[in-house]
Amino acid sequence: MSIHIEKLNYVYQSGTPFSHRALTDVSLDIADGSYTAIIGHTGSGKSTLLQHLNGLLKPTAGTLTVAGNKITPETKNKELNELRRHVGFVFQFPEAQLFEETVLKDIAFAPKNFGKSDEEAEDLAAKMAELVGLPASVLQNSPFELSGGQMRRVAIAGVLAMEPQILVLDEPTAGLDPKGRLEMMEMFERLHQQQNLTIILVTHQMNDVANYADHVLVMEEGRLIADSTPQEVFSDPKWLKGHHLGLPQTTAFAAKLADKGVPFKNLPLTEEQLAAQLAELLAGKGDEQHG
Amino acid sequence: MDKMLLGRYINGDSLIHRMDPRGKLFLSFYFIVIVFLCNNWETYVLMTAMVMLFVKLSDISLGFFIKGVRPLIWLILFTVLLQIFFSSGGHVYWHWGPFTVTDSGMINGVFVFCRFVLIIFMSTLLTLTTTPIEISDGLESLLKPLTKIKVPVYEIALMLSIALRFVPTLMDETTKIMNAQRARGVNFGEGNLIKQIKSVIPLLIPLFVSSFNRAEDLATAMEARGYHGGEGRTKYRKQEWKRNDTIAVILFVVLTIALVVLRK
Repeated sequence: MSIHIEKLNYVYQSGTPFSHRALTDVSLDIADGSYTAIIGHTGSGKSTLLQHLNGLLKPTAGTLTVAGNKITPETKNKELNELRRHVGFVFQFPEAQLFEETVLKDIAFAPKNFGKSDEEAEDLAAKMAELVGLPASVLQNSPFELSGGQMRRVAIAGVLAMEPQILVLDEPTAGLDPKGRLEMMEMFERLHQQQNLTIILVTHQMNDVANYADHVLVMEEGRLIADSTPQEVFSDPKWLKGHHLGLPQTTAFAAKLADKGVPFKNLPLTEEQLAAQLAELLAGKGDEQHG
Repeated sequence: MDKMLLGRYINGDSLIHRMDPRGKLFLSFYFIVIVFLCNNWETYVLMTAMVMLFVKLSDISLGFFIKGVRPLIWLILFTVLLQIFFSSGGHVYWHWGPFTVTDSGMINGVFVFCRFVLIIFMSTLLTLTTTPIEISDGLESLLKPLTKIKVPVYEIALMLSIALRFVPTLMDETTKIMNAQRARGVNFGEGNLIKQIKSVIPLLIPLFVSSFNRAEDLATAMEARGYHGGEGRTKYRKQEWKRNDTIAVILFVVLTIALVVLRK
């Protein structure tokens, strides 16, 4: 279920005095089963780009092909329904979308909309609740009785219950405590690994980008200014700074060490990589001393 | 929803923008009242000329105002057609069952059309050149006299300014929740009536819930900042009555006199 975008342009309220250009000539490819992170300053067009992926917005110009469905400016709204079942979309603060009387019904809502029978949908919902770590005891509670973190889980389970092939996450861990954040990111990573889900993540957490993503897109003022791997993007701290972006903590630390003369082969992104490189360097040093 | 123009504010620094909001509010209401004084061609031409003068003075293109009329065009046409087909008197051109087309009916239709457009232009002018906060401040001081008969004017103004402040926030929230539910397979505005009404539930409930939460947070935050009600507060924004405002009032007095003289 790959994504192919060609010369995508989007103008808000086009043709009115309030018209505002949000995306300019964005072209990109996202491979099947990849983990793509989209980063960029607030207002750089990240969310606008995301909303194209399941047809919530249609391009003003250009085309995109998502999971075999082609979307052009002329595409009819009716045709987009087919697309939406393939693309699960977790919005920022998704707990705002809960409305049913019980947690179980809320999770089962999306599969029912896409044609599953009540029974199938509720079985699926129970499974998804377990997957996101909700205790079975809350399934018959009202979603509004839960804590913020649990509501977030219910909302995410509600999206996963659609059994999407592409999962779009718009800052899924914003406002969560560190433990909740880690648990959630690990859960997405598990889904990515086990079910070969294509994940597209918008985030301001460079650590998450370094730890999980294998493909990075950098947006600035509605344009795509970089399309490569995390290794590549984070190898040039000066360029990042120029575009108001930061480094992952580990890379920042390694960059400081490099300034002091530690000869890294390439800047490490994760703690494991840093540890491995340091161990290697120390081992090398040890050999020199002995030899 | 983003095509809506009524209630929008356009930043500017024209003569009209700089007017005292109290004066603007009062004169806009007054204008709507005196539109009903018009009953012949001369008076309508005079009023239209006045409105065009104000539009010119506001430095906002005429296109904006025409867009403001657009959402109401069906209501206007409906009223105009009622006037044309159901008035009696004057020369009869056409007659069928209860429908009659007469020359006085047609003239009345045109007048009703003009009246609608003039009123919409004037209220659009008010909202395009006045920030919501100025409007609620202006209303508060215009309603001040009502405190004498125990109307809680301060509370009304507070509610109004909070309501106005949260209109865009709620609109954003609505769009956001609508999108989230669309992504979960809800089709808004499709299917038969019952289906459409049902599809509103996943939108309305979250909106109500978030409004309750928002109200609670806002009340807590206000209390924490020492809010105890309207009694004994001072004002941050001062409204100033300037020479231009006096000139505008005089202009309207002259206009009223002219209308009374010209009408039959």
